[in-house]
Amino acid sequence: MVELDRLKLELKNLNTEYAKIREIAPEKRAEFGRKINAQKQDILERIKMAEQAMLDVEVEPLDITAPCAPNEELPQVYSVFDGSRHPLMTELDRVVEIYQLMGFDVVESRQLDDEYHMFDSLNFAKEHPARDGYDTFRTEEDLIPPAHTSTMQHRVLKANRKKLEQGKEIAVVVPGRVFRNEDVDATHEHTFYQCEGVYVSRDCNMGQMLGILREFFEKYYGQKLEIRTQPGYFPFTEPSLEFLIEKPKTLGGKKGDFLEMLGCGMIHPNVLKMAGIDPKEYHGFAWGGGIDRLVMLKYGLDDVRYFESGNLNFLKEFK
Amino acid sequence: MKISLNWLKKYVKIDVSDEDLIKLIGARLVEVEGVIDENAKYNNIYIVQVKSCEKIPDTHLTLCQIDVGIKDVAGVEKSDSGLVQVVCGAPNVREGMLAVWIAPGAIVPASVHEDAPFVIGKRKMRGYESNGMLAGADELDFGDDYSGIVEIDPATASAGDLLADVFELKDLILEIENKSLTHRPDCFGLIGLAREVAGILGVRFNEPDFSSSELDFLKTPYAGQLPLSVDIADSSICSRYTAIVLEKHGEIKKKYLTWQDTILSKSGMRPIDPIVDATNYLMLLTGQPLHAFDYDKFVAVSGASRPRIVVRLAREGEKLILLDGKDVVLQCNDIVITSNDVPVALAGAMGGASTEIDENTHKIILESATFSLYNLRKTQMAHGIFSEAITRFTKGQPACQTMMVAEKCAEMLSGGFKIVGGVDEYPEPEKRNVVKVTVFEINVLLGTKYSKDLIIKTLENVGFEIKTIERTRQKEQEKLSAKNNDGINKNDSELEIVVPAWRTDIHIKEDVIEEVGRLLGYENIVPTLPSHGTAVKNEMLELKTSTRDILKSYGANELLTYSFVSERLLTLAKQDAKNSYRIINSISPELQYVRQSIVPSLLEKAYLNQKLPVDNFALFEMNKVYQKEWGMDKEGVPVERTNLGFVVAERKTSGTAFYKAKMFVERYLAENNILAKFVPLKEKSAWAEPFEPKRSAEILVDDECIGVVGEFKNSVRHNFKLAEYLAGFELDLEKVLKYARSHRDIKISKEHESRDITIKTHSTYGEVVEAVEKILAEEKLVAKITPIAIYQPKDVKHISLHLEFDTKINEEIMHKLESFTK
Repeated sequence: MVELDRLKLELKNLNTEYAKIREIAPEKRAEFGRKINAQKQDILERIKMAEQAMLDVEVEPLDITAPCAPNEELPQVYSVFDGSRHPLMTELDRVVEIYQLMGFDVVESRQLDDEYHMFDSLNFAKEHPARDGYDTFRTEEDLIPPAHTSTMQHRVLKANRKKLEQGKEIAVVVPGRVFRNEDVDATHEHTFYQCEGVYVSRDCNMGQMLGILREFFEKYYGQKLEIRTQPGYFPFTEPSLEFLIEKPKTLGGKKGDFLEMLGCGMIHPNVLKMAGIDPKEYHGFAWGGGIDRLVMLKYGLDDVRYFESGNLNFLKEFK
Repeated sequence: MKISLNWLKKYVKIDVSDEDLIKLIGARLVEVEGVIDENAKYNNIYIVQVKSCEKIPDTHLTLCQIDVGIKDVAGVEKSDSGLVQVVCGAPNVREGMLAVWIAPGAIVPASVHEDAPFVIGKRKMRGYESNGMLAGADELDFGDDYSGIVEIDPATASAGDLLADVFELKDLILEIENKSLTHRPDCFGLIGLAREVAGILGVRFNEPDFSSSELDFLKTPYAGQLPLSVDIADSSICSRYTAIVLEKHGEIKKKYLTWQDTILSKSGMRPIDPIVDATNYLMLLTGQPLHAFDYDKFVAVSGASRPRIVVRLAREGEKLILLDGKDVVLQCNDIVITSNDVPVALAGAMGGASTEIDENTHKIILESATFSLYNLRKTQMAHGIFSEAITRFTKGQPACQTMMVAEKCAEMLSGGFKIVGGVDEYPEPEKRNVVKVTVFEINVLLGTKYSKDLIIKTLENVGFEIKTIERTRQKEQEKLSAKNNDGINKNDSELEIVVPAWRTDIHIKEDVIEEVGRLLGYENIVPTLPSHGTAVKNEMLELKTSTRDILKSYGANELLTYSFVSERLLTLAKQDAKNSYRIINSISPELQYVRQSIVPSLLEKAYLNQKLPVDNFALFEMNKVYQKEWGMDKEGVPVERTNLGFVVAERKTSGTAFYKAKMFVERYLAENNILAKFVPLKEKSAWAEPFEPKRSAEILVDDECIGVVGEFKNSVRHNFKLAEYLAGFELDLEKVLKYARSHRDIKISKEHESRDITIKTHSTYGEVVEAVEKILAEEKLVAKITPIAIYQPKDVKHISLHLEFDTKINEEIMHKLESFTK
């Protein structure tokens, strides 16, 4: 309190001082004005801080061990009908659950990673234009908020390579939040969710990759589905494909409608090698696709910006 | 990229329907974003002959009688002599010429894709009937030239021909997604695409014979006649530079509309002048961009007497005025073409103004070269140049065709120019890659049973050269084969594959396997399911799922908010921005720092929801957080924590919000069978910063702090403009997981008894409960104690408790409890 009074007095004095500007030679006025103004800003800032501090001074302590304050009712939770789960998380849980039923372990993706995991270990050549395509954010320390869940691939391969030696296979899915330096509009978000899959064994092949992906989407949509592929390009898979499914009936699909669901391919031998797996002995495949789109299709949403809006009018629809 | 199907069909014989072809291209080569149907675009547009021209006085108009060459055109009256009258405003209309007539009722082609296409009619102009119009290039969508009407070469057409027939305009234009061809520089030319289409259709591609050119300039007498030298400072920035000098010996007069004009237009470019058109056409055809310098200007710029081309990296701060008039400051990654060290062009991106060709150009230097795609990527970004040429260069055009394309260009310009000199600087000729792969390996990776012959034919169709070495399979492969029951015969064949020079993207066997799988169609691979082991559960994921369900059942709402926050938000929540990882290329200041905890983001969203308004709500989010002070983990990446943040806010409530948040967290922890203690908040870490220490608590389990619960500092609450009833908690979910139990010990009692007591006290609630428990323990009793109410009329608190015993008790103990005051 005393501090605040002192500051206010100081401000008053400063204003008085400023009035003297008329007595100063015209050519020196500008400098004088600047000096006084700087001091004034400094005092105003300190007043603001003092006022903030004062807000926090006169606070009544309370009995933190009690269940309620004296003479108040015991607090209650809200009605179960008011509660909601975020639709992206509900969908991610569902996706992961199906993969788990299909025998896949789950490893969550990091949200801050390095160049090595994001690019180098995935066979992106140094300075390769493909790196630009991912529009990554970077921190001062050159860390990267990952632009794809593949950032975990190297870790997953390394952590599980013992399994291969034991004659088992690596089967892991990696859900997680990823980031792209993109302007936000109805169909683009800089923050979104993906789910990655990695499978390595002695005898796996592209037919198995297509089989697993078709099985997943058939379970997810609860119907038999036609699948289709298109050639794709990713530095970390060879061959690389885009994977499409027939638009399911629940989404109003008609004959001949197809949806692009994810990118996939056989893991590039360099990626296996870097994780200490001999590409002559073992093959693998990997895939990755977005979760946001699944939710948008499911509910017919036309604006991706709802997801991170925190708006209860939207969220409470997902009970 | 736009591809004319008619043009494509000139290079590869296609025996499937257009629809099937487009599907196949989509499935086996590249993403087709769209198809523009131009089959009807030139309906009712004819070649006609102008029979007579008569100036309409006091106007720029000409009254023309034209021979439309066909008997009847709907709605058009002919004169007695069988001619049709049209009024034309073009200065170049003249008797005898062949022109293009848009008949009444036809749509002006340039307007077909507009919302309201322009339909030509029959109308009166200055009192004269005009039937349709004679068209200029702009109206026909063949360029921007509106200076006159289009003239047709009488050698190619006659009156009455449909324009669409003469120039093959009934066409489908494929719109190709460039991104899906990033790794295929060869497919940025029509020939490359046609080769792939042949491969997809299973037929051998006939390479168009460019080398038959008579103009093999290096071997002919005029080579070296005119001195010209090329110095490449570093072959890693420019692997090959071919330059041909052409001298004018006559005018290439552009008089007629050509088929090439229509191709340029269909491909999204515009006819400009014969030299530029030739270079553009060849770029579209081969993928190799060309550039033409004015020879005399080139020499003059350097002040030297003879031309010396030097290709080098720009020096920081060097300047250059580009063709489009832009004055650019060069950067050290830019590659420049210099005339004896004076920059004259930004290599691969754009020529310079100082050497631009014009109508007085007498000699030209034709450049056909390849540049480092890495440098050009940076040039593209730094200077914002997105031309057709740089789009191709940044994919890495192969060096194999520079000379061939330059020669072809010279041949196309031979009507007005002859070769007088040339240089081909190719310091380290590219070696063709050789890849070895066995038939077995191909089938194992794809899960197919393709025969050796089919594989060889498929690869040879697109220019691979193959030598076969027969051999028996290795033992390991035998086992695999038996397991897969693949039915391939025991002997395996090793293929030694020489990769075509234009396929700079093929290095390893997997690249070849992709070619086989793709060209033969991935749709022919049978999906199968591997049999494998079972999954292990992910406990953190399970905890998060159950947390979602628990908090939802308490009426709370799950949120997701951005992982990046503003410096402002950190300051409002009293967190130090220096403890946050800072994004250097953030989209906006709002998203500049990696967040340190979840609660500040929730406070921001609480404000938004109070404004909606929603009166009472509880928000929660589970997400990852990072703080610099946590340092790095074993892998050298930042330590990561998963936190649960929770905020409860009410607009019209008075009362103590602390207890609401505490009740939520206590119940949540109890669901996970965690019994926590609440002790005064001493934590000085970032997540505790927004909380008011006098009205908050640390949540302890086994003396370890697993979280913070409480009300927020008044200043924080003011900063976020939130109503007074506000509290929250933040938990470290790794620690919750550490202490969570899947079940608690149960004890089914046969008899039980419950009592309520009220104790008058000055102590805290916790001390009272502890004291009660102690007294009971002395009697070897255990009770479940729950609060009923705390009443405080004056100084003394009246704490009422409900006690549940799993056994019968005697009254004595109750007296003991009631008589005790603390």
